[in-house]
Amino acid sequence: MSDAVMSAQAAGRRMRVRRLKGLGATGGVVTLIMVALVVFWQVAAQRAWINGQLFGSPLGIYKAAAIGLAQGTLITDTLTTLYETVLGLVIGSGLGIGLGLLLWFVPRVAGVTEGFAVILNSIPKIALGPLIVIWFGSDMTSKVWLAGISTFAVAMISSCAAAREVDQDLLNLFRSFKAKPGMIFRKLIVPGALPWIFSTLRVNIGFALIGAVVGEYIASQAGLGHAVFVAGSLFDLNTVWLGIIILTLMATLLSWIVQLAENRIISWKTKR
Amino acid sequence: MNTPNTPDSTISSESAKAASSPHVRPDPRLTVAGLNHGFETDDGVRTALFSGLNFSVGAGEIVSIVGRSGAGKSTLFNLVSGLLSPQGGRIEVGRRSDGGAGRIAYMLQKDLLMPWRTVLQNALLGIELYRKVTRHDIARAREMLARYGLTSVVDAYPQALSGGMRQRVALTRTLLVDPTLVLLDEPFSALDYETRLALEDDVMALRQSSGTSVVLVTHDIEEAIAMSDRVILLGGRPARIEDSVDVKLSTQGPRTAVSAREAPEFRTLHKRIWGGLRSNTIHHAGAST
Repeated sequence: MSDAVMSAQAAGRRMRVRRLKGLGATGGVVTLIMVALVVFWQVAAQRAWINGQLFGSPLGIYKAAAIGLAQGTLITDTLTTLYETVLGLVIGSGLGIGLGLLLWFVPRVAGVTEGFAVILNSIPKIALGPLIVIWFGSDMTSKVWLAGISTFAVAMISSCAAAREVDQDLLNLFRSFKAKPGMIFRKLIVPGALPWIFSTLRVNIGFALIGAVVGEYIASQAGLGHAVFVAGSLFDLNTVWLGIIILTLMATLLSWIVQLAENRIISWKTKR
Repeated sequence: MNTPNTPDSTISSESAKAASSPHVRPDPRLTVAGLNHGFETDDGVRTALFSGLNFSVGAGEIVSIVGRSGAGKSTLFNLVSGLLSPQGGRIEVGRRSDGGAGRIAYMLQKDLLMPWRTVLQNALLGIELYRKVTRHDIARAREMLARYGLTSVVDAYPQALSGGMRQRVALTRTLLVDPTLVLLDEPFSALDYETRLALEDDVMALRQSSGTSVVLVTHDIEEAIAMSDRVILLGGRPARIEDSVDVKLSTQGPRTAVSAREAPEFRTLHKRIWGGLRSNTIHHAGAST
């Protein structure tokens, strides 16, 4: 009996090791291609194969970064956008997930609310930008709102669905043990929905970032969106690139944090 | 549950006959009396699944219910387990010998273990849902898991376990709530033969250890004969008890899943039940779709 478990554990470990090795090899190839592209880009810009003014260049981006760091604007802009994104993501997704799960208690209300959520989700949230800026001003509050609204509906719809799609046989088992609805919610609905919640969060990182950046495009005093927008209107392509790179890194970092939290909280998925 | 029994006069003669028949045991752990249940199809035609069905299960008795698929086995399971309320008749769970309320627990082919709970936590689920888990409960759970050879995986997650081990955890979860009646629906059909025999022994051992009654719903005739004291053959629409076979086997040594299958009466019983199932198929092929 214990042999079977041990061999199962060993198999799991072997599989993880193989996956890691595979990841390492793929990562190596990706890095290699990226480096080659950057070098080619730099050479092409220097030899004037491409118009450096219109395309920017890696060295130019580096210089833009150095200037930004020296003036301190790069740090302020990054922190501003990070703050708006994270706050919007946490508030919007948090409310959406909480509401979506709680609607499990009232299936009839859930149907109506979900209908509204679908409508809300169909609105291109970016189009709401001007409204939000008029209502909440051009400082960070309006960006937090925009990021929050961008994530709320998705979070609500998917957590509502996750709660509804719980295994009916498990639900029956709980009922046969005479479990009260509160008990079923705590011990079945919420833990069962966790994997969905995390995948929603990961998707929502992108939406929150879009909300914050577009909000900054519309009206702002700081933020990476602000920097990119201003630089774009000045044809300073290197600064535009710099903004895009930092935004990408920010999204990667946030995904990584969510992944880390998921591994910790849903440890049963990895622990075998 | 105590709906008055109001069957049509045509059926009542049959149910009266059944009430005096050997389907009814003294001091029953489960009594099904005058059960009426049916469903309505999309075009509004009402189909009766059960019409005045009677049987009972005594204390410590193992009863199998066999029938073709579509005979209403699953519906009967859901009715007895309380997941469905009967439209007519009564389903009563007998009291314990000490007078306490009886309790049904069931187990399906799907083990229904929750992946986010360890083996021990899964086993304790039933208790956790109706009262606070005590240290005594945990000790009892560990003891029972140990009896099923699961000591080494008590703190593992179900994903690490084989099908047979998982089903044993499900059995532990079922038994830890101290049921007076255990309801099993094809519980071992996904397992390999050897594991299945071992688990059949585990279930048969319940009667000795705690006097638990068992109702096994299955289409596997061999399993039904090997495990039960009585096999009820369900057939027709509305379903009625076509045959009720008392299983008495002269086994060599104590009765186990293996020795039962080697008993000289095994083939005869198999033939009788198989024959019953087949004649039923021909008879009602048009009625049950």
